[in-house]
Amino acid sequence: MTSLVGVEKGWRWLGVTALIFTLFLASLFMTAVDVYAQRLPRNETLYKAGLQWGPPSSFNPFGANVAWPINNELLIYETLFAYNLLTGELDPVLARSYEWVDDATLVVTLHDGTRWQDGAPLTASDVAYTVSLGDKYSVNFSPIWDHLTGVHVLDDRRVQFTLSENAHKGMVLNYLTTIRIVPEHIWVEIEAQEGGITQFANLNPVGSGPYRLLRFSPEQIVVERDDNYWGKGVYGTPAPRFIVHPIFRSNDAGNLALERAQVDLSQQFVPEVWKMWEDRGLPVSTWFDEAPYFIPASIPTLFINVHKGALANPLVRRALAYAIDYERIAETAMSRYSPPARSSMIIPVGVPEQAYFSEELVEEHGWRYDPAEAVRILEEELGATKGPDGIYVLPDGTRLGPFTVQCPFGWTDWMTALEIVAESARAVGIDVRTEFPEQPVWNDRLQTGNFDMILNTPAGGYTPAHPWLRFRDVLDIRGVPEMGSIAFRNWNRYENPRVAELLDQAAVATDEAELARIYQELDKIFMQDVPAIPLMYRPWEFFTYNETYWTNFPSDDNPYTSPLHNHTGVRVYFNVRPAQ
Amino acid sequence: MRDILRILSGSRRFLVGFFMFGAVVLFAWIGPYLIDTDPFTRVGGLYSPPSKEAWLGTDNFGRDVLAQLMYGTRTSLWIGLVGGVVATLIGVTVGTVAGYRGGWIEEALMGLTNVLITIPSIVVLILLSIAVDSRSATVMGVIIGITAWPWTARAVRAQTSSLKTREHIDIARISGVGTLEIMLVEVLPYMLSYIGMAFVLQFSEGILSEATLSMLGLGPFQTVSLGVMLNWALLWEAVRVGAWWAFIPPTIFLAITSFSLMLMNAGMDEVFNPRLRQHQ
Repeated sequence: MTSLVGVEKGWRWLGVTALIFTLFLASLFMTAVDVYAQRLPRNETLYKAGLQWGPPSSFNPFGANVAWPINNELLIYETLFAYNLLTGELDPVLARSYEWVDDATLVVTLHDGTRWQDGAPLTASDVAYTVSLGDKYSVNFSPIWDHLTGVHVLDDRRVQFTLSENAHKGMVLNYLTTIRIVPEHIWVEIEAQEGGITQFANLNPVGSGPYRLLRFSPEQIVVERDDNYWGKGVYGTPAPRFIVHPIFRSNDAGNLALERAQVDLSQQFVPEVWKMWEDRGLPVSTWFDEAPYFIPASIPTLFINVHKGALANPLVRRALAYAIDYERIAETAMSRYSPPARSSMIIPVGVPEQAYFSEELVEEHGWRYDPAEAVRILEEELGATKGPDGIYVLPDGTRLGPFTVQCPFGWTDWMTALEIVAESARAVGIDVRTEFPEQPVWNDRLQTGNFDMILNTPAGGYTPAHPWLRFRDVLDIRGVPEMGSIAFRNWNRYENPRVAELLDQAAVATDEAELARIYQELDKIFMQDVPAIPLMYRPWEFFTYNETYWTNFPSDDNPYTSPLHNHTGVRVYFNVRPAQ
Repeated sequence: MRDILRILSGSRRFLVGFFMFGAVVLFAWIGPYLIDTDPFTRVGGLYSPPSKEAWLGTDNFGRDVLAQLMYGTRTSLWIGLVGGVVATLIGVTVGTVAGYRGGWIEEALMGLTNVLITIPSIVVLILLSIAVDSRSATVMGVIIGITAWPWTARAVRAQTSSLKTREHIDIARISGVGTLEIMLVEVLPYMLSYIGMAFVLQFSEGILSEATLSMLGLGPFQTVSLGVMLNWALLWEAVRVGAWWAFIPPTIFLAITSFSLMLMNAGMDEVFNPRLRQHQ
């Protein structure tokens, strides 16, 4: 009897197993069908890379860890204006124009017929509502309220911004290019929810832009053109019906996809990009067809802890600055995408601020790669002597090092630059060692000032407020908490009483000659005190395209818009054409 | 000693392995005297292909790959050697003490060993590598050594347990010889062949562990090793760019080094293991 029960049980188990197996097969089959159904027509789809790493979890423009395209493009949510890197002007997006009524009053006029993707009209009241969120909550654009006292609706199309005393006009304009305007009728309800506007995942974003979110997964994000876009009469219709951002696990996977035309437009760092067309004849291009290939727009800078040991001595920092081989960094770490770095906080080429750069000032007060001069400063000015291990020792017995230089692991161009810094420094007789912690560790050490030397970009990106913003981030101690607390700029807590005064003057100056004078004085202070060392220039965003499926991307020969993904980069979609 | 060498030279496998390994060692130690290139000096551009000036091209820093290979092999061999010595020392000590003393000491030591065997050593390696401040080649070797000994300890304990029942040990014990002396003089010499084989294997594993750690970016600071070379080649997309000279030579050297050590180990096994000897 028992054995019979056993047999019966066995059959039952077999049946269950077979059922599970069949279900498994069926699900596999369905997934396959699903994948097949999701395949998008290649001639209507543009593939992007380099703006999303890791699975998307939030499409909330005010949240943390925001996914593409909300984080970096004007496809779903739009801003009032977009910064044009080529002209330094603000190009219209939602807004048509702005006007300074007086020094403290800015009036922004919206385009006619602006509309949300759900059909509701987009009015001045949506703009005022969105900007006021920054006053009510702590969001990424809240600092605009350091410069504003109020935002008022004048009528359906016009919004008035009232500036506070000592406000920086460039900073206010900068925020008009970065605040994503959201629909009031939807977000008042989100405000009322638990967690408020910052915790909301916003998985069905309703914006005003030319694309809507179609679907997303840990592998890719897909947006589809909104054929009811309000701006059709103003900007036309974008050519790609779908834009897909595959999510790659590593840089080389994305670069390989670009090479094979599985990606059309990429923001990734590609070492030796010119080889793609010079050696392999691929239809790949960048902004310039020769070095530096991209427009330099930011300065990855080595911040030196000016409060720690021998590094507190400006002469030691100056000797180090002379020891570094900037040309080698430009050639290898930056793969020729950067001219060799100069000893200035002003970018000397490519961007509008180059007008303030002074060659004479740099010659007189700055530094360049010159190991002999580094040795001279160490021996003659500091009276240091070389120890038996080849490292200098100061007269008070302090050995120059070991100092660590750090940046996050995996940021290959930065890692290479720091290896070169360490090698150059040791060649002169200063013991510098590299350390590459994980990104969150690096970030914590940066913000709390827990480092000897650390690489970061001050005021990354590019705005109408540059280079003012960069000088403030490097030199201004006001509002920077002491070491140990979280700082978002001036990470080495450099202090100079003259800086605040000059920055305030620059904030309100309108005369170009006057601005140049102030910036050069700030630059002179920077060069004399060496609180940080610019190592290279980096493009704001990398912009490399493969024209196998889409053509007419902007370039130096065809500069219809700036080579960006954010800001004016949205115009690229309105201008590209299918290749066939 | 001469006897051991004579016996070993009877194994063709051992000889082939020995000469391959010898060639690698010569390359790493004598090579740098023959070519006058500093492995840290830039001699070309980013991934310049092989030329008359740089026989194996340049790496992502523009440094000579051949010079890097010589110094890198030297570092890797050193890390493997230190790792092998440390792992063998710990393994033999733990195994002999546990096997000879028995009782609760054996239980405790073998318990620890078994626990360590179940923890994937790569996890411990990564944690230790992150924890130490200064990762010189020697420190890395030590770290690798202290995670690699448990298998040796287990095998040595088994051998010791069987050895301690032999008559000559009983005689030594009755004659009043101390425990330490018995272990050193009466037990260890009977396991020398086995310890030698374990050491060769640990040496090879040490070199591979270094490569693994370095590929993860946890390699030795301020020096070049085969793993560090591979790490930079990986980070700088040598494979996609087609710069084969940046990743194939270190891979070949890693393969040759560990293969030659494995061959030596197999050859020793052939000679020392009575069961295998009978089959010959």
